[in-house]
Amino acid sequence: MSTFVIVYYSALIGASCLAAYYKQRSVFMLIFTLTLISFVLGIIGGAGALRFVATSAFVLALAAGTSYAFREFLILISKPGLAKELRTAPLTAAFGMFVIFTYAIAGIFAPWIAPHGEAEIIGQAFAPADENMLLGADQLGRDMFSRIIYGARNSVGLALVATLLAFLMGATAGLLAAVKGGWFDQLMGRTADVIMSIPSLIFALLILSIFGTGLQVIVIVVAVIYSPRVFRLTRAVAGNIVVMDFIEAAKLRGEGDWYLIRKEILPNATAPLIAEFGLEFCFVFLLIAGLSFLGLGIQPPTADWGSMVRENATLISFGDITPLIPAAAIALLTVAINFVVDWMLFRTSGLKEQ
Amino acid sequence: MGDLTRLVFKRLGLGLLTIFVVSVLIFFAVELLPGDIAEAVLGQGATEETVAAMREQLGLDRPAPVRYFEWLAGAVTGDFGVSLVSGERVSEAISDRFVNTLFLASYAAVIAVPISIMLGVFTALYRNTIFDRVANVMTLTTISSPEFFLGYILILFLAVRTTMFPAISSLSGDMSLFDLLERTFLPMLTLVLVVTAHMMRMTRAAIINLLASPYIEMARLKGTPPWKVIVKHALPNAWAPIINVVALNLAYLITGVVLVEVVFVYPGIGQLLVDAVSKRDFPIVQACCLIFAATFILLNLAADVGAILTNPRLRHPK
Amino acid sequence: MNDKFKNAEVLLEIRDLKIEGYSDETWVPIIKGVDLTLHRGEVLGLIGESGAGKSTIGAAAMGYARDGTRISDGSIEFDGMELTTATEAERRALRGSRIAYVAQSAAASFNPSHKIIDQHTEAPVHYRIKKRMEAQEDAMELYERLRLPNPKEIGFRYPHQVSGGQLQRAMTAMAMSCRPDLIIFDEPTTALDVTTQIEVLAAIRDIVDQFNTAAIYITHDLAVVAQMADTIKVLLKGEEVEQAPTQVMLDNPQEDYTKSLWAVRSFHSPQRHRPADGTEPLISVQNVDAAYTGGVKVLDDVSFDIYPGMTVAVVGESGSGKSTTARCITGLLPPMSGQILCKGEPLPPRYKDRTRDQLRQAQMIYQMADTALNPKVRISEIIGRPAQFYGGLHGPALKQRVDELLDLIELEPSKYYSRYPPELSGGQKQRIGIARALAAEPEFIICDEVTSALDQLVAEGILKLLDRLQDEFGLAYMFITHDLATVRSIADEVVVMQHGKVVEQGPKDEMFTPPHHPYTDLLLSSVPEMDPEWLTTVLEERGVDNIGESAGN
Repeated sequence: MSTFVIVYYSALIGASCLAAYYKQRSVFMLIFTLTLISFVLGIIGGAGALRFVATSAFVLALAAGTSYAFREFLILISKPGLAKELRTAPLTAAFGMFVIFTYAIAGIFAPWIAPHGEAEIIGQAFAPADENMLLGADQLGRDMFSRIIYGARNSVGLALVATLLAFLMGATAGLLAAVKGGWFDQLMGRTADVIMSIPSLIFALLILSIFGTGLQVIVIVVAVIYSPRVFRLTRAVAGNIVVMDFIEAAKLRGEGDWYLIRKEILPNATAPLIAEFGLEFCFVFLLIAGLSFLGLGIQPPTADWGSMVRENATLISFGDITPLIPAAAIALLTVAINFVVDWMLFRTSGLKEQ
Repeated sequence: MGDLTRLVFKRLGLGLLTIFVVSVLIFFAVELLPGDIAEAVLGQGATEETVAAMREQLGLDRPAPVRYFEWLAGAVTGDFGVSLVSGERVSEAISDRFVNTLFLASYAAVIAVPISIMLGVFTALYRNTIFDRVANVMTLTTISSPEFFLGYILILFLAVRTTMFPAISSLSGDMSLFDLLERTFLPMLTLVLVVTAHMMRMTRAAIINLLASPYIEMARLKGTPPWKVIVKHALPNAWAPIINVVALNLAYLITGVVLVEVVFVYPGIGQLLVDAVSKRDFPIVQACCLIFAATFILLNLAADVGAILTNPRLRHPK
Repeated sequence: MNDKFKNAEVLLEIRDLKIEGYSDETWVPIIKGVDLTLHRGEVLGLIGESGAGKSTIGAAAMGYARDGTRISDGSIEFDGMELTTATEAERRALRGSRIAYVAQSAAASFNPSHKIIDQHTEAPVHYRIKKRMEAQEDAMELYERLRLPNPKEIGFRYPHQVSGGQLQRAMTAMAMSCRPDLIIFDEPTTALDVTTQIEVLAAIRDIVDQFNTAAIYITHDLAVVAQMADTIKVLLKGEEVEQAPTQVMLDNPQEDYTKSLWAVRSFHSPQRHRPADGTEPLISVQNVDAAYTGGVKVLDDVSFDIYPGMTVAVVGESGSGKSTTARCITGLLPPMSGQILCKGEPLPPRYKDRTRDQLRQAQMIYQMADTALNPKVRISEIIGRPAQFYGGLHGPALKQRVDELLDLIELEPSKYYSRYPPELSGGQKQRIGIARALAAEPEFIICDEVTSALDQLVAEGILKLLDRLQDEFGLAYMFITHDLATVRSIADEVVVMQHGKVVEQGPKDEMFTPPHHPYTDLLLSSVPEMDPEWLTTVLEERGVDNIGESAGN
């Protein structure tokens, strides 16, 4: 029996007793379940398994604590109306907001945070982590950590631009189609159907094979591929609004299309559109990451998470997790956004099933 | 039955029309190439003569619509022309690989579809319990992860650190089915993880959407037990959305396969497409795109027809 | 306490029931301590306006709390069994077998995927009361008793293949399938037209009598409850106002609130007559035919005139084409043939081709104030926009005009100026809708079922307001409604429509005195009256087999 095992169990049992004494039922259940799981796994897998359980529990608890604190922080600094909304956010959503916040900081202040330049070769290929290079070096001897930080700026920035463009095109077309109806609506709907009937990755590959892999090409292609999705959603949301009597009243007053969109429809469509923006960003981000992974996205030496996975992929067969780090960076951001969007969709749908 | 058959045929017609339009798009997209195919493939270093020779060989002097219909006629009979890089017939390069891709996709589908529908029903039944919440967080996480992330994690833990399954899915013709299933286990698992999460969430949403209907409340007020409310009253009305979800995800399998094939070096059509794109081998790119798009459209078509066929209002007209 | 049931056994006893609903992240009380006693064979009418909590109490009587509500206190004792402490399984075992439920919308409450008879036999087979075949035989017998056409065959259809009135009767039959001790009727006829309502009422009353089933009959319609209930309980905002046997309650209500409910239909505006000096009609609808794209004709040769300062009520059941006529007048649906004249000038058929002044002349007030006002726009902007758009007002002049309009509709300007519609009550929203129409300074206003979504007292206020404004500004109204009581109180002339045709038209006094067109007669005689004997009398007059849908054709 190592000291770790003894300290670990006594801490757990002590905490459960405290929770039980203060009648904190759910806390007690949580801690005691953890104790039992550790007990069973400890018997089967020994101290190693126990250490794993303990680490995961600690990481989860840390994440939960951070999320909780971050939510309280947001509630305190925001206006009363927003604060009321934020109070309903589950911990997962708060976690999502915290992660998005961190990525934003990393992306905006990349040159100040990263210890080295993104293309700067400072060590040997695949050098292990040391004090200078927190995550080691990549296949050319560039600092992995710095490249991850710069990646936040490049990968996320590119996806953001593409999403904005897709949104601009899709939402404008959707709103106009809902208001105008008739042939314009039909035409837009059919066009969207055709574009969506080609799988997105395949479409992107086709166009990139023709026009090459310039940044502008990527942005435009991705925006064209995803704008039909935005179009459909906007059309559906606006379609539910244009049948309302207040739109009829405005039409009968003689108001123009632009007034209808700006004053009558948009204020009622913002919540679902913001949620859709989040989802859309995830799709775009994953598509661009996929393209980069295939070597058809952002071209070297610019740091980009997708290509970093590809460049370091060989390390996997040696059991090294380095290539997983940029992949995890991608996954973490999309998970975070999805957590937030999930909460927002729940709020706006008013789905209160019990 | 008049209405129903008419609707089904209308939908079939629309599907064929879409495939036609998409084929036009795929063919003429290449025509947008700055210069033409010959220049693009041979690059700037090529002499006038070689470019001219290639033009001659590809028949580029004839008008595009004529070449399009020749290409389409060939495609319908399985002839996609000749690869620009290897000179091999495209149909030969594709056929074996297409079978491999279909095998992988069906392998994943056979496992993913039943699991996800069952899990979807369970999460709907036990909604807002711990089980549901954990499932929600886990599915959100797998959906958000890029396929290559999941793939490499599986390789790291199941192939490198524990060597339970092979990391690379090289196939040969004389393998037994069991070997084949073992070799393709990890790529299959990656696809299953991604697709199951999607399907399960959407099945759950489709069922929960229906739970607010007055006829569900009526069933509850008739004393029907909760599981029976879901299975007998909600599920029959949820088939249309569920079929859609399944088709959408099967279609997704077909494309998601591209990334997974690259991760596991699996000899499928996706891998071929990616190689062709980087080598700018347009006949292969066009052929692969058309095959993927057609599969995608046909699956959606099947889903729509399925949804029409399960609609009681259409099945039993007034 | 009803003398008739003094010696009967108590079936359901609710004591100090409190129910809370979840909204805005907190639990708020909806039912604030209600008592209820029901004897075997007794029919209790629960009556109240929307939000009174009638339906919630009905569900609670089955030990059922809807999603988002919870029973927080009190006791519900059904035949000796305490439902609040019973397990979910025990409570569930009562539902369908001993307590049954009939929902408001039968069309939505039957599962579209199963045949009607399969849904009928589900409960008896589940509780092993009957074998499937026996249960089917029994269903057919019940269908026959409820006077459904083709009782042997109708059960084997799917819900969408059967009409609304028939479905409602099939649902009553389904509730009877296990011969329960108690049936909860939750507004079973509210969604039906009056001529259909009468046959469902008759069927429900018969079957409840025949099996001596106790029932709780929930409705907001006093005249309906007077026909059905032995005892009436009046609710207001989750609390009981008073309870008495039906006749006593009708003759001699004690509480002010109850009295005010009874007195609602007293408002009458004096009838005006057409000007005799040869003034042209303000709006003249001439031989209009109309159809929606690809559909069948919904208007067939519709003609009528509306003179300045007068109210023309257009009456008919759902599908009669009254709202379509309004859409033709406003230009939303261009007629296939015929024309619409405004002061003798033909109006362009499409609203997009009309001038701003022509659009200003005709304004609309809608049925659902919720969808008629943009929830994200301030009141000042909603009312101010027409004044700005047509009158070119802005700045202080605009603000003054908005204040003026708010004064006109009797809402305090300083209090409502910068509010949003969701913060207002239903009646207040409808007033804002009126102010928006007035802001355009029109001569003609179309009122599309403006009072039918409102509670009676509130509706009365709206009618009075409309009447006052009419006198003040010399407005002409086209009043679309299915409610004959409204017609009596406000109309000058009446147009009766059926299946897209004008059946009869004329001044109000003539229309309400016989002889009538047969359809007008049917419509008039189908409107329930406060007299508890009304239904019995009508049925006797018409004969059992000649009521409702069958009588109409």
